[in-house]
Amino acid sequence: MEIPPLLLQFGGSLLAIFALYALARALKLGGKPTLGSENDVHVAAGEVMDGFAVQRVSIARGGIAALARDSEGQIMVIKRHGNRFAGRVLTCEAHVREEVDALVVDTGEARFGKVRLSLDDPAYWVDAINRL
Amino acid sequence: MPDFSPTQYAVPFFVVAVLVEMIWSRLRQPEAYEPMDTLVSLAFGLGSTVAGALFGGLAAYVFIEAYEYRIFDFGPEWWTVWWAWPLCFILDDLKYYWVHRAGHRIRWMWASHVNHHSSQHYNLSTALRQTWTGSFTFGLLFAIPLVLVGFHPVMIGICGGFNLIYQFWIHTEAIDRMPRWFEAVMNTPSHHRVHHATNPRYLDRNFAGVLIIWDKMFGTFTAERNDEKIRYGIIKQLGSFNLLWSVFHEWIGMLGDIWRAPMKHKLSYLLREPGWSHDGSRDTSDTIRERWQQRQANERVEDNLAANSVATRNPIESPGQAA
Repeated sequence: MEIPPLLLQFGGSLLAIFALYALARALKLGGKPTLGSENDVHVAAGEVMDGFAVQRVSIARGGIAALARDSEGQIMVIKRHGNRFAGRVLTCEAHVREEVDALVVDTGEARFGKVRLSLDDPAYWVDAINRL
Repeated sequence: MPDFSPTQYAVPFFVVAVLVEMIWSRLRQPEAYEPMDTLVSLAFGLGSTVAGALFGGLAAYVFIEAYEYRIFDFGPEWWTVWWAWPLCFILDDLKYYWVHRAGHRIRWMWASHVNHHSSQHYNLSTALRQTWTGSFTFGLLFAIPLVLVGFHPVMIGICGGFNLIYQFWIHTEAIDRMPRWFEAVMNTPSHHRVHHATNPRYLDRNFAGVLIIWDKMFGTFTAERNDEKIRYGIIKQLGSFNLLWSVFHEWIGMLGDIWRAPMKHKLSYLLREPGWSHDGSRDTSDTIRERWQQRQANERVEDNLAANSVATRNPIESPGQAA
């Protein structure tokens, strides 16, 4: 049976793509950055929303996520995405759920996903998010 | 008639170049790559070739029809008119500048082009992050003037292919600056890093394909600064590696906005700049830049006030006193 050239090309490209992905993993490219300090959160928050003036910060244990509040009462959730950080300013569509050892913040955007944070001061954030 | 697609021949070179840049990344800058991001970008590239094969026929049909109404005729063997090739390449690059600028300033076009910008990384795999939905915009209309002038659609296609190949190598952080004369005329990694940046000062700048002179001519050029770290991606980072969401998120957002908007604003959600909203509740690149400029100006005023205050309290009577 003769394979159509276009299909052959597609298959070859697919193989090359997975080979490059495997190589990137084998070379340990990427890394796993953490939010280690309030300054890290300031930087990450500024990248999510330029000019977001952080007033209060809580970093999740492990430094993979954080919540930040600015002077105007806006709340931002930041999570690690790959080896970068992404975040959202929460709106009234956001929900927060308390678990035994963590908060689960749902931005209301299904594709952004829920963010799980183990915090030292969860009650403050539950209250603040519920007031939005 | 030449039957030649330069991008097809370039694919093995693309793969080898990504491989070489990965090794550079391992040695110098491991964070420049992220395996999942790379996988998504490369899947974009493969999907775009499939989309091109499925939907590219419409553009070919429009161009061939338009060619019947050409003003100048380069003859039945148009490919032998040597000077038409460089002329076509330059005019196609000028066309690219405008179609690319429209891709950032008109939401309908941005819904397609955003795919190329949605990675938070900037490496050679990002170059292959090409849209699947270009055929569903009006981008092809920008090439009609070239066809009407008399350039054959195949000639335009080949020139466009070389244009895309040129743009591949500039998607890298591995090259800092090219020689000054080259930076002055050509699009380079440095100029294009600015284009992919979300820093307010860099938003909607450097739309060039091959020649950076178009940005300089039309007032959209900004040089890269060494004192400001570039962050890449889009204003509202996706935060997801879901391929289909990455492909269609802006289309879904735009169509949802059109559906929900009052009748008189529906068209604006299609044709105005990304981020525009009828109640002003969202940010466009212009409003972000204005707010940033205002903040910079305020900080300068505060710095000056502080400096003056120090000068008043500690006046220097004569130059000798300052030593």
